[in-house]
Amino acid sequence: MSVTSALAGALSGLSATSRQAEILSSNVANATTPGYVRREVGLGAAVLAGHGQGVQILGVRRDVDRHLLGERRLAEAGTGDRDVRAGFLQRVERALGSADSPSSLAARLAAFDQALVEAAGRPESQARLNGIATTARSLIAGFAAATTDIQTARAAADRRIGEEVTRLNATLQQLHELNVNLRSFTGAGRDVSALLDERQRLVDQISAIVPVREVPRDLNQIALFTTGGAPLLEGSAAEIGFTPVHTITPEMTQALGGLSGITINGRPFDTAGSASPILGGTLGALFSVRDELAVSAQGKLDAAARDLVERFSGIDPTLAPGAAGLFTDAGGAFDPLDEVGLAGRLRLNPAADPDQGGALFRLRDGLGAATEGPPGNGTLLSALHSALTGARPLSSTGFPAGNRSFAALASDILSDAAALRLSAQSEQSFTAARLTALTDLEAQNGIDTDREMQELLVIEKNYAANAKVIQAVADMIDTLIRLDG
Amino acid sequence: MTRISVGDASMTNILARQGSDLRAQVQRAAQEVTTGRHTDIGKAMRGDVAPLLAVDASLARLAAYRTSTTDAAFQAAAQQSAVSGLSQLAAGITMTLMGARDVQTPAQVNATAAEARGRLASAMGLVNTQASGRAVFSGVATDTVPLGSAEDMLAALETAAAGALTAGDVETAVNGWFSDPLGFGLFYQGGAALSAVPVAPGETADLSTTAMDPAIRDTLAGFAMAALIDRGVLAGNAEERARLAQTAGQTLLRTEDARITLSARIGTVEARIEAARTRNAAEETSLGILRADIGSVDPYEAATRLEAVRAQLESLYLVTARVSRLSLTEYLR
Repeated sequence: MSVTSALAGALSGLSATSRQAEILSSNVANATTPGYVRREVGLGAAVLAGHGQGVQILGVRRDVDRHLLGERRLAEAGTGDRDVRAGFLQRVERALGSADSPSSLAARLAAFDQALVEAAGRPESQARLNGIATTARSLIAGFAAATTDIQTARAAADRRIGEEVTRLNATLQQLHELNVNLRSFTGAGRDVSALLDERQRLVDQISAIVPVREVPRDLNQIALFTTGGAPLLEGSAAEIGFTPVHTITPEMTQALGGLSGITINGRPFDTAGSASPILGGTLGALFSVRDELAVSAQGKLDAAARDLVERFSGIDPTLAPGAAGLFTDAGGAFDPLDEVGLAGRLRLNPAADPDQGGALFRLRDGLGAATEGPPGNGTLLSALHSALTGARPLSSTGFPAGNRSFAALASDILSDAAALRLSAQSEQSFTAARLTALTDLEAQNGIDTDREMQELLVIEKNYAANAKVIQAVADMIDTLIRLDG
Repeated sequence: MTRISVGDASMTNILARQGSDLRAQVQRAAQEVTTGRHTDIGKAMRGDVAPLLAVDASLARLAAYRTSTTDAAFQAAAQQSAVSGLSQLAAGITMTLMGARDVQTPAQVNATAAEARGRLASAMGLVNTQASGRAVFSGVATDTVPLGSAEDMLAALETAAAGALTAGDVETAVNGWFSDPLGFGLFYQGGAALSAVPVAPGETADLSTTAMDPAIRDTLAGFAMAALIDRGVLAGNAEERARLAQTAGQTLLRTEDARITLSARIGTVEARIEAARTRNAAEETSLGILRADIGSVDPYEAATRLEAVRAQLESLYLVTARVSRLSLTEYLR
């Protein structure tokens, strides 16, 4: 043990405390940086030839809880999934109109019903016949607007799938490059904490889209698999394929053609059902919106539209059997094989619509009437009202069967939309609460400036102590030197 | 050494989340207090909005029935006043006509006949009554009055009674013309009877009386017989003319029962409409109360909630301010 080795030990102490201060400053600076994980300098006693030789820096340790991280990622994926679904169902409910809004499908229907009663009480009144035409058009407009809303939401889901897939591919590519960098840096023994932070952030991004399992490999490498089992990153990044379309019509589905599915490295995978490897995140939810939820919502709307069309066909004695009634499929008779998208194609019969060159008296005298009949004849108008209010079995399979009046059907459809939205929202708040709890736990493991300040006090004290040792050693050397002189 | 440490972000997150949650609650409560409506009606009704929609649909329909009962009541009242007008016209001349043969001079018979002719025109005017542009005895042809002019009718009757030599002949001819589909049936310009008018859910009022109703037709026949005397039938046969006047009086007397029955029938319809109207109004009121009950927010509850959330939010602000000052850095200066 010599004086110079004491100097060396004190110097190692100085450099260790400086390094600690450096890491601490980085921690404090990143106190609010998302994705930043607290670091710590690992210290150990330096041993040289069996003797203590001061302190040595073992490395910089990232203070990460892998289990919590994995849980939080899954929760985030789940929340993304529920958010997308609940958002869509809320949109459907808004498209049909909330129960107390004057523009809801039910309110439009009530106005039509009212107009029919009023006109039956005074069939010669042009104003009341016009009321029927106006409210019928408003009812049709309600159906059309809801269809447009649903199909727009579908198109938006398709476009978002395209964006998510692009982001997924780009992120996977970045992750692959990071893996390469990490391999060489780790091999060279350099501090890779910043790269690890960056990689964690990128995996977070991916896991919001598709829930993933991260498998650690040697030399700080990771492999990524979706929780459904599809490989995303294993040696090289997977290439995910998807082709968005510009416009979506109700008839287009993935099964019947027109809409793209998903491929991983060229191999097609299911986008729904238990065999699909991509479910659980926003991507799976968007596919579900495009291919299931929107199709089912449109199906219910079409079922109601079909019921409306069928109610008013066959009660008008002036029409040939099978001819289009008051409500038509784009101006023509309705074909039971062509139900999909009917809600968007509903039109008022041109014969009775002054806007399309028809005449109002045909509402009263029959759509096939060539000339105006006696103006007080309310028989057909009463029949129209009974057709609207009578109970009738639903012929479409798009909605649970039952014997209903049209108002009951409309209110069932509105209730159904509200109930679906509410249950999706309750699932959404459940997953959100879980994510919040996990995020809070993660945040608790984050930077605590109070703790860092305490450490700073210790570092300051240690630095001063080491400096004091150097000063003492210097004095000792000086003393020796003065013995000469 | 394990140290217990809580990251800064944790507290910030919790405070921020609670703050935004409370502010959302304040906004919701404030909106509900000011509008009196649920911000989320679907949630308030637990996803089953059918009861609310059923009430709204019934209210809309009742509003429609309010219009149609008003129309129906107006038409029934117009029919009623026309029929009672006919009765008055008939009652005013029946006794005079009845006495034509026994007490009147031919000149007096002539004067009575002239009066009957005037009354015929008035009676036909009553039958042609219109209520708000709608001919009330025309059936479905509401845009046409049911009868043409009295002179046209008398001319047609004269033709039918041409060559008649006795009062009996004229009576037969007149009655024949009135019951002949090619006679009065052709003279009637209206249409088939009106179909029943809806006045309440599942309930209709029958306004089917037309000018073809036997009570109206036979009354007109009575007036017409007397009026024909004034047009000069059976000219020169004072005895038969007086007899015809008497027959006319008898006809008017005989049809009095029919007129009363018709009047009673229309009265029943009026009562029915009025009952429906009262019932509709009562239903509208009770449905309005029900609507407010299920579709609106209890303002006291909403106001209490607003107050509670406000107090909570204020406490949160206080806590946020206190907690943010709790930092070791503050004391290390």
